[in-house]
Amino acid sequence: MEFEDMKKIWDAQTSQPLYVIDEQALHNRILSKKRKGAHITNISELLGIIAYGVMGCFLLGVTLYKQNGSPFMYVLAVWVLTSALYILKIRILRIRGNDHFDRSMQGDLDHAISVAKYQVHLSLVMRWNMLPIALLTVLGVSGAGKSVWFSIAILIFFALAAYASGWEHGIYKKRRMELEMLQKNLANG
Amino acid sequence: MTEHQQQHIFESWLHQHQALLFKVIRAYAFTDMDRDDLFQEITVQVWNSIPAFRQEAAVTTWMYRIALNTAIKWVKKEQKHSQAETLDAVHHVLKENAAVVDERLAWLYEEIHKMDKIDRSITLLLLDDFSYKEMAGILGISESNVGVKINRIKKQLISKSTKLNHHGI
Repeated sequence: MEFEDMKKIWDAQTSQPLYVIDEQALHNRILSKKRKGAHITNISELLGIIAYGVMGCFLLGVTLYKQNGSPFMYVLAVWVLTSALYILKIRILRIRGNDHFDRSMQGDLDHAISVAKYQVHLSLVMRWNMLPIALLTVLGVSGAGKSVWFSIAILIFFALAAYASGWEHGIYKKRRMELEMLQKNLANG
Repeated sequence: MTEHQQQHIFESWLHQHQALLFKVIRAYAFTDMDRDDLFQEITVQVWNSIPAFRQEAAVTTWMYRIALNTAIKWVKKEQKHSQAETLDAVHHVLKENAAVVDERLAWLYEEIHKMDKIDRSITLLLLDDFSYKEMAGILGISESNVGVKINRIKKQLISKSTKLNHHGI
């Protein structure tokens, strides 16, 4: 076969694309991504509510028990409890919003994107929330007469946590992007 | 550029040049799961590239550049993290178009698969009539290098096709 013959065979696929998009498979993929996203979001919310709730109650209890605790520790306890309540509130709103999506492929995809956007927002809020918590913790332990090294160790701990949280946030953003791309491909198909 | 404009361009590019993307996907991804994965990866990169497109190059050249670079990077990444296909991925988004089943085309892709990454890209571009200069621009190699590689690739393909003819395809 001459090269020109190969070219003719090759050119035939330009008018007839090699692949077609299997809509059922696409729908299954969207459903799988939606379930996975919803599961991860659910776990993140519950962990956030429990962790902040337990930590807030513990801090409040210990500070009240000591009676001479730093005022920053009271603020910290209230801040942490408010964070738990905030996650609870947005979780309730998210669950209420689930009914707004129909069960079509487009509806499922919109729902998956909505959950992915919510997860991105949640992880971003939680990341920034470390800043006031770190600040109040340092002020609180400094007021309680702990050494500077202890405060530095706390700051390093929060810096590492913020770094890990940024990495996690990147994963959620990538997941959201993938879903938005599916939506764009779907609009095109 | 607004997102609406970007979306409009993306849809029109994908509609007009879908075949081009599928050629690159078939040349670089061997399993159905990989094809789905690479398709998604390339479309993400095409979407991201739209604001940077300056009309200095033809859209086909631009898309080939994006698709080939993405495919080459994807192959490197996949070699590091090669995984077995999982059961939940049995149904694939990209299905072979039954109307394009041609044994000679399948043979041609098989030969392209056997090539290294750069030769694969050159062969795709050559078969799609790109000039030496365009190929050199897309792949970041010199025109003379492109010429040498093309001569070798053509000779190899013609020689292999002769053997194939002897086997009756």
